[in-house]
Amino acid sequence: MTDGMMAIAILLPVVAGFLILAIRNYFARGVVVVSTAVLLIANSIYFASRGPFTYSPPAGFEWATLIAILDYAILITYIVLGFKLRNRLVLIFSATQLVPIFYFEFIMKAHVEVKPAFVVDNLAIVMSMIISIIGSLICIYAIRYMRDHEEHAHLEKSRQSRFLFWLVLFLGAMNGLVFANNLVWLYFFWEVTTLCCFMLISHDKTQIALQNAARALWMNATGGTAFILAIIYLYSTQGGSSALSVQNIVGGSVHSAAMLLPVALLCFTGCTKAAQMPFQGWLLGAMVAPTPVSALLHSSTMVKAGVYLVLRLAPAYAGTYVSTAVAIVGAFTFFGTSALAISQTTGKRVLAYSTIANLGLIMACAGINTPLSIAAAILLIIFHAISKGLLFLCAGTIEHRIWSREIEDMEGLAAKAPLVTLITAVGMLSMFLPPFGMLLGKWIAIEAAYKVPLAAVFFVLASTLTIVFWTKWLGRLLQVMPKLGWPLEKLSPSYSVPLWTLFIGIFAVGFGVGPLYQYFISSATGNVIAGASSIVASNWSGIVLTSSAAKAASTVGSFPVWALYLVLGIALLLPMLFFGLKPTQLRQVYLCGEQSGGTDTDEWLAEADIKTKFILGGYYFQATLGEKALNPWVNTVAILLLAVMIGCGVISK
Amino acid sequence: MNQFITVIATIVLAPLVGGLLFGIDRRVTARLQGRFGPPILQPFYDLFKLLGKESIAVSRMQFVWIYCYLVLMIASLICLIMQSDFLVLVFLLGFAGVALVLGGFSTKSPYSHFGANRELLQILSYEPVLLLLAVGIYAQNGTFLISAIFSRGEPLLLKLWPLFIAVLYVLTIKMRKSPFDISTSHHAHQEIVKGITTEYSGPFLALYQLAEWYEIVLVLGVVALFWANPLWVGLLIAFGAFLLELVIDNIAARMTARWMVRLSWSVGLVLGIANIAYLYIVKGVF
Repeated sequence: MTDGMMAIAILLPVVAGFLILAIRNYFARGVVVVSTAVLLIANSIYFASRGPFTYSPPAGFEWATLIAILDYAILITYIVLGFKLRNRLVLIFSATQLVPIFYFEFIMKAHVEVKPAFVVDNLAIVMSMIISIIGSLICIYAIRYMRDHEEHAHLEKSRQSRFLFWLVLFLGAMNGLVFANNLVWLYFFWEVTTLCCFMLISHDKTQIALQNAARALWMNATGGTAFILAIIYLYSTQGGSSALSVQNIVGGSVHSAAMLLPVALLCFTGCTKAAQMPFQGWLLGAMVAPTPVSALLHSSTMVKAGVYLVLRLAPAYAGTYVSTAVAIVGAFTFFGTSALAISQTTGKRVLAYSTIANLGLIMACAGINTPLSIAAAILLIIFHAISKGLLFLCAGTIEHRIWSREIEDMEGLAAKAPLVTLITAVGMLSMFLPPFGMLLGKWIAIEAAYKVPLAAVFFVLASTLTIVFWTKWLGRLLQVMPKLGWPLEKLSPSYSVPLWTLFIGIFAVGFGVGPLYQYFISSATGNVIAGASSIVASNWSGIVLTSSAAKAASTVGSFPVWALYLVLGIALLLPMLFFGLKPTQLRQVYLCGEQSGGTDTDEWLAEADIKTKFILGGYYFQATLGEKALNPWVNTVAILLLAVMIGCGVISK
Repeated sequence: MNQFITVIATIVLAPLVGGLLFGIDRRVTARLQGRFGPPILQPFYDLFKLLGKESIAVSRMQFVWIYCYLVLMIASLICLIMQSDFLVLVFLLGFAGVALVLGGFSTKSPYSHFGANRELLQILSYEPVLLLLAVGIYAQNGTFLISAIFSRGEPLLLKLWPLFIAVLYVLTIKMRKSPFDISTSHHAHQEIVKGITTEYSGPFLALYQLAEWYEIVLVLGVVALFWANPLWVGLLIAFGAFLLELVIDNIAARMTARWMVRLSWSVGLVLGIANIAYLYIVKGVF
């Protein structure tokens, strides 16, 4: 049974990918994508119901050799790409991976055999569910999106198959990545995601797309380099294969001070993939790609692999300075990118900065390394995947409606596309307000941050900045003229099914977070750190945190989920449903009596009574918070912090 | 059942107190300006008059948001009265602020827009102070629950006085008093039309005023938390702070939004952070 489950999770996307590549018919291709999606979703739910197990692929086939060959194939592809793009950085950082891996296998003659090869524990299952469910929904969305995309671009030869191939393949690689226990295999899946990422970003083949894809490639390749160095270091100093088992690394059976350096290197690798400052550039650049790519990279794959690695390794660096350093690196990124997000005028860039910020928060939670903070990190991963996946799909839908990504062009969208605006607004509110899950995660994070007070201060500042950039953007969408009766727009099912599923998902997962935590996430937290179950009590009515001091356990905080949703219902749902205006109640806005017409004109009588349209715009504070003003500072600090993090790994031994 | 009665009592009694405070405000301000001033109950007369007016509006969403603002303000006040999690209270209050801003944004009106942007900057100024206060309360009490503040003997003010000073200017911002009456003001003399409330009239404006009454009870309640045991001292401090705001309002001129954010993010945050750092050092966490 487990053979089949693992095959569906990892190999089915590969097979389906090649099938998609072969099919040229829009409808048939759609059927393959949808059925793959359904299988993946059903399979991941079956994983959850079956519970944890360990797995090694059946003997008789040289899986290790296959993976080694594919490793070289990927790295050689990087080098070819480096020459093709004439990008020196890509060449340098693929060489820094290729040479050590060659050294590892042929000069050190390393023979790595790790049993079990895959460990499917609850944390991995949570991740796999996110990947399979949200990732699949995004693939479904992409079917129609890419057709519209190519129609708008007037392409002669369709490249939709190629796009969907990489998209579906990505899901398989991610599943492999979260299940892998063998560090060498984990590295392989890691590189596959980097390659998929490059192919998807460069999909449109424009100058800017190629340039940004190259940047993503070399930045992730620096992480890959750190990864392979960590593998070699572990293998040579910690006694061979057994040191390359993730289970052993976090389980403490190979625990020694010398292990801290490779673990710090792996945290660095996680930072590159999770686009932590100063590596935020690649994720920001990735938005040139068609929107399903951004949705996938930001919500369920790629960046989540980065935080997953750091979170997974948390026990290996618990109680050391590396841990504190990881917390500060993450918290600083949360703060810096939230500030930068305020100055952005492009919708997708705001989303990108917000993603990086929240990944920083998750990273910081892993670094704080208490049962509470780890629980917060896992909750944040889940809620962020849902909300951000939804928001990117919304951004894509809006883009295909107004053919622009600029926030200022979205002014008054509520009147033009009420349904999409409603979904987007809920997505935005769910990122930063109670009672939604992201805020719950942030709430636990702040309550957990007592161990690293500096991180708590960054959390506080960043949370405030978060309020500003979301409210500002949402305000632009809602700005409408006094007019009643907004006609609802029609959406293709390929758009509406994923949108509404995620929309409902926000409420279902958010409202049911108590039981969900108790029966499911709590055991995932237990895979990283012990003791969460005794301090987090949750049920339908809410979540209560108690202090870990066992003797006089007292309540630290309580989040009344049920009551807060009730408040939301009374505050927003009720008036939305039951409040209406009559046309006779409408008045024109106040313009000092200088209007030029009826209620729904935005013209006024300017100098010499010339009819002039008045224009309102948002604030962006580019002089103080723009990239030009802030980047030199925040990047410098971030580089120093990363250096300190790795330095802590060196010193502590 | 007891909880239910508390909730109902809060919803009914808080606006009575809030309205009275506004009446006192107008009277004291008038005296400070050498006028006689309206009767103490004037805010109530005004509210009933507004409720009786024809309901006209410029957008449907505007009502939704201003009503949302009122409900959330009541919800955060209930949070305080029920002595639940302080951090949840601050987040709810933040949501209320966001609702008000979105109400201002949800119509194409230049004045309302001005006000909404400025209200957003006001949130940017006071929100971190309140969140830091939550962290400070945790550093002192080891819990975020408001009930623990009441059960502890030692008043917060003794250890958290720098945060108290910071909270005082949050009070100025929240009461919309000079120098921080930036998004809208109670006085007509220094206003771009009526800021964020420009487009509200009649019953809709009444909702806004009602929310303000709840709000003042809430923020003064937060001030009173600094001396929760015995509570009457805290209430006296809160009333003293209220009168202080009235004096400041009458001797200060309105400043710019930019100045407010700078002041808050320098002086206010330094006070808060230094306070928390000190608590941590005393407790030996470092």
